[in-house]
Amino acid sequence: MTRRQFSELRTGLLLISPWLVGFLVLTVYPFCASLYWSFCRYDLLSAPRWVGLRNYRRLVAEFWEGGEVARAAGNTAYYAAGSVALSVMLGIGLAVMLSWPVRGRAAYRTLCFLPAVVPTVAAAVLWIWLLDPQKGLVNSLLKAVDLPAQGWFQSTSAAGWPTAWPVDYAGRIFGSKDGLVLMSLWGIGNLLVIYLAALADIPRQLYEAAEIDGARRLRQFWHVTLPMLTPVVFFNVVMGLIQSVQAFTQVYLVSDGQGAPAGSTLTLSLHLFLTAFKDLDMGYASAMAWILFVAVMAVTFWIFRTSRHWVHQ
Amino acid sequence: MNARISTLLCLSLASFAAVAVAVCPKSALPEIREQVVFWHFWGGRDRPVVERIVDGFNRSQTHYEVRAIAMPGSNLDLKFFLSVAGGDPPDLLNHDDPVVADWAHRGVLTPIRDLANADELERLKQWLFPAARELGTYDGQLYALCNGLDIRALYCNSTLLAKNGLQAPKTIADLDRIAETVAPADGTVGRIRMGYLPDPRRLWAWGIVFGGRFSNPNGTTVQEMVTADSPEVVAALTWMASYSRRYGPSEVAAFRSGEQALTGASFPLLADRRYVVVMDGQWRVRDIAVASAAAEVDGRSADDFSVTPLPSPANGRSHAGWVNGNFFVVPDKANNKSGAWEFMKYWSGFDGHEQIAAEACAAGGWIPSSQLVVDQGAYQQALERWPLLRDFVLLAASPTQVPIPSLPVASYYYQQVTDAAEEALYRGADPESVLRRAADNVRQRLREVLHDE
Repeated sequence: MTRRQFSELRTGLLLISPWLVGFLVLTVYPFCASLYWSFCRYDLLSAPRWVGLRNYRRLVAEFWEGGEVARAAGNTAYYAAGSVALSVMLGIGLAVMLSWPVRGRAAYRTLCFLPAVVPTVAAAVLWIWLLDPQKGLVNSLLKAVDLPAQGWFQSTSAAGWPTAWPVDYAGRIFGSKDGLVLMSLWGIGNLLVIYLAALADIPRQLYEAAEIDGARRLRQFWHVTLPMLTPVVFFNVVMGLIQSVQAFTQVYLVSDGQGAPAGSTLTLSLHLFLTAFKDLDMGYASAMAWILFVAVMAVTFWIFRTSRHWVHQ
Repeated sequence: MNARISTLLCLSLASFAAVAVAVCPKSALPEIREQVVFWHFWGGRDRPVVERIVDGFNRSQTHYEVRAIAMPGSNLDLKFFLSVAGGDPPDLLNHDDPVVADWAHRGVLTPIRDLANADELERLKQWLFPAARELGTYDGQLYALCNGLDIRALYCNSTLLAKNGLQAPKTIADLDRIAETVAPADGTVGRIRMGYLPDPRRLWAWGIVFGGRFSNPNGTTVQEMVTADSPEVVAALTWMASYSRRYGPSEVAAFRSGEQALTGASFPLLADRRYVVVMDGQWRVRDIAVASAAAEVDGRSADDFSVTPLPSPANGRSHAGWVNGNFFVVPDKANNKSGAWEFMKYWSGFDGHEQIAAEACAAGGWIPSSQLVVDQGAYQQALERWPLLRDFVLLAASPTQVPIPSLPVASYYYQQVTDAAEEALYRGADPESVLRRAADNVRQRLREVLHDE
């Protein structure tokens, strides 16, 4: 390395040093420390004490016995599956509609994107109000069309989990987790931008060829649009999965910080936070974080492996 | 070029540091006064009362100056622990969650015996109401000084009771009759009014009323320390769940939903007359007074309300219930413990400050932690102004008002029992099995904490 190159490197490092220091102190160090803590008993107040695999054994036992970890994992899976699936379907549907050459298309696009810039806390408060079982706008609309009002964030019932329906459910099938899933669609604007860009990239000739072959709109969508969008769907599924497992702020806000009611919104991220900072069981929380990290990696890897069967190359 | 950029960076950093030093607020304290950093959670209409207490103390002092810092109550414990872990805790903290035993067990609190002399400590123990004493005690040692109690009782809308030919409940059967008369179990969906409907969180009160204990005070084993699955507590939850069977779990959940968001004068009893009878704390007395005053201004006739202790079943306990309260704790690593102790005495009223505490409690509608404060003229005037408050104050002295067990896992215990009650009421789960599971979870956690298992 010449003297000049060394000097440039030093200046470069100096310029990125604020980020570098932040990255090392706030990301790399906690990442490595949490791995060590996961093998320790640690309460923040006294020095970590090595306990070997005890936290991991406890985690497995609690999961196996259907304890809070199992409940949190179930809630997280429900939320992730619901929010990722619905955001993909709604995202594609909306993007296709927004790509139609209609008057005011730019305004519609802006309107659809706008919610994505609203801060999570503001959006959560808005949705708590919208989904209020007594006075919320959503229930008012349901009642207006003679549909039963739902319990949303105050109810444990869940649409995709019929065993959770009380015998007298009286049509009240949507509960707290469904409310969270609905809320996650609020930020779909970010996905829309990606889908719209991908739609614009689909060669016109493919549609022309399909038209010559007699394919109508629906078949064109099914045999041209959708396959051409699969690389973007793949990207959004992976990112959506990771984001939904990490979802914390909105869950914390709607669940009174405790996963209420009756633990129906206790997701893994919230459980992790409560274990670490309410119960001060940092070792166990770190073990949970690492298991979660490995699980998300495994699922992501599985999606990558299966992608060759459904993603257009 | 590079040298110029480095110089520019250094200059920027230097200017930033200079500005930071320039705008950094300097202490307004005279040098001789020692600062007492005080964290609290008080907000809303109570905040001005707290500020007046702090101002009053600061005016009365030549030695200490309290600097009050208001924090959101929901994460006060987290902030406190981070400050302790970071080595910079406040000198004094006012809190209302069941954390004393946990914090004392972890060794982060200063026992009161280290703040007060032996004579003061003995007098303090005699001075406090039994419930206030129990709230601050862990393992036989006083760690917290209670400055106000929260007592629950039944608020009855006398106007609606009379309209239905009913009276305030004296027994559990009376309460059931009120519920059945006002809202018969006829399969109606989407009710807008209930006679009475148990709140899952109140199992802590009904469990005591039904003759149970959530912990054996003389227990030495983990099994004895956690008794949420005792027959009396199970009986209480079974009775509460009978309302769920009567109306259907989803109807109960739907009716109760959204109530937590109702605050102030819109609390359930007043909001559209949702309940004829409801259990709540003494702070609602002021809401009722506000609602009555508003009705008078509007030219409407306001409903009449009464307060009655929780009715008990045969073999149950009278004047019983669940009590919690606000308390002061001094961190082990606090810088100014003596200043903190002076302020604690000032606010709570101990050691000759009874009149000041009485005025504060009267302004806030709070229940003092000692009968001596209740007996002060200022507080007696408040009781005349708010007659409903008197019923709560009478309950405060009852030995059957019991707080959450003083165990190192008390917060976890509270949440587990509440979750169990929610499952029984909102999902139709079997009371005995959910309580057994909750108790087992708490026992396991307690074993881990006490015996490092």
